[in-house]
Amino acid sequence: MTAAAQLPAADRTTALVASVEDLKVHFETKAGVLHAVDGVSFDIADGETVGLVGETGCGKSVTARSFLRLIPTPPGKYAGGSIKFWSKEARANGSDPVDLLSVPTSDILDIRGNRIAMIFQDPGKALNPALAIREQVAEVFYQHRSDDLLAEWNGNPPSVIRRAAGQRSGKLEWVAMKFPPLRSQARRLRKRVDDLVGEALAETQIPNPRKIMASYPHELSGGMKQRVMIAQALACNPDLLIADEPTTALDVTIQARILELIRELQHAHQTSVLYISHDLSLVRRICDRIAVMYAGRIAEIGTTNEIFHEPRHPYTRGLLAAVPSFAHERGKLAAIEGNVPELISPPASCRFHTRCEYATEICRRIDPVLDGHGIGRSVACHGYVSPEELGVAAADIPRLDRSPA
Amino acid sequence: MTAVRDEPLAPEPGVDSAPVITVRGVRKYFPIREGVLQKVVGHVRAVDGVSFEIPRGETLGLVGESGCGKTTLGRCIAGLTDATDGGIYFRLAESDRLFLDEMDAVPEAERTLQHQARIEAIDLAHRIDRMKGDSWRSYRRNCQFVFQDAFSSLNPRQLVKDIVGRPLKVYKEASGPELTDRVVDLLQSVGMGRQHLYRYPHEFSGGQRQRISIARALALEPEFIVLDEPTSALDVSVQSQILNLLHELQQERGLTYLFITHDLGVVRLMSDDIVVMYLGEVMERATASELFAAPRHPYTEALLAANPDLLEGDEEAEMRGLEGTVPDPARPPQGCRFHTRCPAAIPQCGWEVDDAVAWLADNSTTLDELSGVERASEFDAAVRFRDSDAAAEAKALLEGPEVSAPMQGALLALSASGAELRIQFTEVDPVELEDVGEGHLTSCILHTSRSTHL
Repeated sequence: MTAAAQLPAADRTTALVASVEDLKVHFETKAGVLHAVDGVSFDIADGETVGLVGETGCGKSVTARSFLRLIPTPPGKYAGGSIKFWSKEARANGSDPVDLLSVPTSDILDIRGNRIAMIFQDPGKALNPALAIREQVAEVFYQHRSDDLLAEWNGNPPSVIRRAAGQRSGKLEWVAMKFPPLRSQARRLRKRVDDLVGEALAETQIPNPRKIMASYPHELSGGMKQRVMIAQALACNPDLLIADEPTTALDVTIQARILELIRELQHAHQTSVLYISHDLSLVRRICDRIAVMYAGRIAEIGTTNEIFHEPRHPYTRGLLAAVPSFAHERGKLAAIEGNVPELISPPASCRFHTRCEYATEICRRIDPVLDGHGIGRSVACHGYVSPEELGVAAADIPRLDRSPA
Repeated sequence: MTAVRDEPLAPEPGVDSAPVITVRGVRKYFPIREGVLQKVVGHVRAVDGVSFEIPRGETLGLVGESGCGKTTLGRCIAGLTDATDGGIYFRLAESDRLFLDEMDAVPEAERTLQHQARIEAIDLAHRIDRMKGDSWRSYRRNCQFVFQDAFSSLNPRQLVKDIVGRPLKVYKEASGPELTDRVVDLLQSVGMGRQHLYRYPHEFSGGQRQRISIARALALEPEFIVLDEPTSALDVSVQSQILNLLHELQQERGLTYLFITHDLGVVRLMSDDIVVMYLGEVMERATASELFAAPRHPYTEALLAANPDLLEGDEEAEMRGLEGTVPDPARPPQGCRFHTRCPAAIPQCGWEVDDAVAWLADNSTTLDELSGVERASEFDAAVRFRDSDAAAEAKALLEGPEVSAPMQGALLALSASGAELRIQFTEVDPVELEDVGEGHLTSCILHTSRSTHL
């Protein structure tokens, strides 16, 4: 169903970081099963920035969270599909990808924050208000880099220190660390972590990182908090960074700075980015390829240029026209009438047909599949399918080139 | 801009030609209280001396980043909070406005009894915080508010019929079946219908809820509506529906809008005039087309650069942001309030001791040794450190190449004696809004008459 949506088979294992195939995430609700994500497929190539755009409730955040298995189950349920992930090592020695949806929890814990990191929408809520910034960033190192922390130890580090470095330390370790000769060793460990945290913060252009390390989230501005989040996410040099609307809570002038920063760091770290946003003009500035989502499905995938200069799906066209710009006259803003359909037990029809000005009879009967129209470019719309393929008369095919009725 | 302002002075112009809202030097300070006794230790200057008029039937866009005081100003204008100082006038005639401007120049002691009586009369009839009885009731009817968050501004326990019909009931406009009919009419005017009457707010999507809010605002047929970020919680496709609706309603009913938003694209589309605010002050004011074609303030330029899609032609323009954070509104910067983040700053912009201290805090650890600051003025202070080394280091840093050139250019004297570092900057006057042509006002000294003295 989705072969063309993905890159040619030849470069797949070498070039890909992740490949989502027919992902289905459902939620049990009182009213029925909610198909939040219903058959989503796309690829993320190495070093690439892929944008996932869509309106509220279209399933873009659910898709992103599925990468790290952050959907609470129940009520959520991974109803089908897979997310294949190649880490740098896997790509280097040509081993098979892991399926993020089926690996054991211990493995996913190792991947979270280490190989795949996430920046959340609201930095005010994502940071722990009760911990100083240092502690929050240090957690990443304790969790994933404890071996490195202990590598420069002379001889075999005592088990107490080893556990302290893995931050699985309890009261016993805490007390033990207070006693000489462990105290000086503990101090060295702490200093090493301080340096690492300082470096990670300095990389995000935070002025005076030593001072910031001692402060608490409420003492920082929104932009600064988001920088801390980015430092935390990039601390372990992940292969894939998922940014879930990282600038929605920020002012425009700060937002532009944060985007620049993400782009710079992406180049420096050679990280792939999955950038989720509802703001088309932002995605345009930062992404190489864009997937437009609507009601749990991908409506269209293409390069940024293709999507903006040659949008094919009626929904993409509507979205682009709805953004206020200098070209619009007052009161003549193009609007997509109607509302997003219910996602509880959706019928087999095009999800967009209720709001589509081109919709014909077959759009109400047959569910369009995401079909290839050129490499890496696919659209889920009957308007691009030949009548023979669908087995209907040519007159029934929606004609997107005519002006809408 | 409009015929109203260009008209020769009529003796008593009719209500129709007067601007609907006149804002004159409005300030709103919130006290900061500390300690057991809740002593006032300072004020957050949310709005600090803002003036403008909104002519009948026009839309004024109020733009700025979060925390710049735009919502506070909107609430003051709607009478939801009282302004600390300054006046908001409803239907203030041109002649009265000129008289008040004249009186501002005259010290209170020198005003004659006649003058005082006229001011009193104007205040009682037009100034919203002095209005009484009928005129206050009429203002409340004529000024309505649409809130940003359509989720929390509708009572979840009331039916749509009660929410939209409430103003009609309060003003005893209608009751019984007539009330229902009026509510249906209102719902129809915002693109909803009779089928929505007996539902609760949670049954609607964000866009529909905002429509209900607008229907409620329209119930008493007001002249003037304050729209406080009406579309910021909505998706683009729904946002365009609401913006089109607001425009249609304005055309049909001759409404006057104050449109508060942080989205320049929306404000450009909706407004006739635009006021750009930063830290409680107006930075620039111009007609929408003029502001976007030829911005005359670096802050406006920065806002545009952060959203390059708004500029004509330049499709691939790079997006540029601003360094630093918005300063503390309890201690706003001297001179131009934007100078701490301004990419075009020059030494005359109002650099002060706080800027030097903030720079040290961001770029060194010398302030860890700080023991006290003694201010002679904002521009002149002695900073005491615990030891003389730290003072010498701070001095070397401030003289070093890393400090921005404009700040260094404004430094008058920098002398370390023992553990004390005296920092002196050139004093500057506060900036003022100035007309730089055809009603285009800006406060940036690079564009005003002060630029000739630089």
